[in-house]
Amino acid sequence: MSSTDDVWTSDDDVRPEETLAELDRLRTRTRTRTHSGAWLPAALVALLLLASSALYRAPFAQINSLTIDHPYWAGLPDEQRHPVLSYAFWFVAIPLLVVVTAAWYARRARQLGVRVAWPVFAATGLGVLLLLAIVAAVPKTKLGSDGMTADLPTWWWQGLLTPLLPVAAAVLALAWAERSPGLAASGLWITLLTVWLCGTLPLGHIPSLVIGLMDGGTSSYGGQLALRPGHYLGLMALPLVVFAVVRGARAWRLHHA
Amino acid sequence: MPDRRPRPPHPALALDDTVHQRVRLGILTVLSETRECKFGTLRDELGLTDGNLNRHLRILEQADLLQVIKGYEGRRPCTWLRLTRQGRTALRAEVAALEQLVERLRNAPAEEPETDT
Repeated sequence: MSSTDDVWTSDDDVRPEETLAELDRLRTRTRTRTHSGAWLPAALVALLLLASSALYRAPFAQINSLTIDHPYWAGLPDEQRHPVLSYAFWFVAIPLLVVVTAAWYARRARQLGVRVAWPVFAATGLGVLLLLAIVAAVPKTKLGSDGMTADLPTWWWQGLLTPLLPVAAAVLALAWAERSPGLAASGLWITLLTVWLCGTLPLGHIPSLVIGLMDGGTSSYGGQLALRPGHYLGLMALPLVVFAVVRGARAWRLHHA
Repeated sequence: MPDRRPRPPHPALALDDTVHQRVRLGILTVLSETRECKFGTLRDELGLTDGNLNRHLRILEQADLLQVIKGYEGRRPCTWLRLTRQGRTALRAEVAALEQLVERLRNAPAEEPETDT
C-alpha cells in the first residue's frame, strides 16, 4: 500500500467534513485492497458445484425412470453414478478447497500486509460437512421417484442431508469475512435452491400452492420444471461465476494500475 | 420570548480525545476494514515514521482499542495489529459524532455567531 495523502501527518486544523471525507477515502482504499482476493474462493466454489454434475448418471438428459439413494451424497435428489464416489468427491473436494483458499489468503497476507477472516469460511465449510456426516450416519432409505410412498413430514428435513448445504454455509461465511453483499446473495441463492430441490420430490417439483397462485387461485396438483441436475447446478453457480469474473477483473486492474 | 427548552448537548462533547486525533482516527479506520494489518503496511498507508506510529499505537493499546500481535514471518520479526471490539465501537461513535457536528455546522445560520454569555 502507498500513502497518497498527508492529511494524517499535517498539523494544520482540518474541518470535520474534510476529516470525514478523508476517512471515507481511506476506508474505500483499504477495503478495495483487502477484499480484492475474494474472486478466487468464489470461482473455486462455482467450479466445485459445476464439477459435481459429473456425479449423476444423466446430468443433462431427460430419463424415464431413476433410483434415488438417500442421503443425497451427489447433492441433488437424482440418480448418482455411485454413492461412494459422490461421498468421496465432497469429502475430498471441500477440504481441498479449504487448503487452496488458506494458501491463497496466506500469500495475499504476505504480499499486502492485511488479513481477512478466512478461517471463518474454513471452519463453517468443514464444520457443517462434519455435522452432515454425523447426522447422515443412519441406514439408507430408498425413496420413490414419484414421492408418493415417502413419509412426507420427515422426508422434508431428511432431504436437507446434502453436501450442498455445507457449500451454501461456506459461501455465506465467506460473504461475512469479505463483507460482500454479492457473495451473501450468492450464498442465499444456493441455500434457497438447495432447500427447494432437496426438500421436495421429484426434482424441480413446484408446490401446488405456487401453481395455484400463478393460476389465479385455482387448485392444482403442482408441477415440475423440466430441468436436470446439471442445469440446476449451473443455476446455483451462476452468481458466483459472475462475482468471480467481475471481482477478478477489478483485482487485475488494481494489480496493474 | 426566549426559548427555554433544554438544548441537546453539542456534538463536539461526544468526541473522544483518544480517538479524535487524526492519525489515530486513520489507524482505527484502516484496522476496521481488515481482520489484521501489518505494522509496515499501516505505516506506509498513513505516511508515518516507525516512531510516530509506535507512539500512537501505544496510546490506542493502553485504551484497549487495539491489540498488538508480535510474531515471526520466517526468521523476521513481524507485528500485526487488530482492532478490538471497543475500538470498533469507539470508531463508530466518533464518526457518528463528526457527522452530527458537520450536520450542525451546515444547518447553523450564516450570520449568527454563537456566544458564551
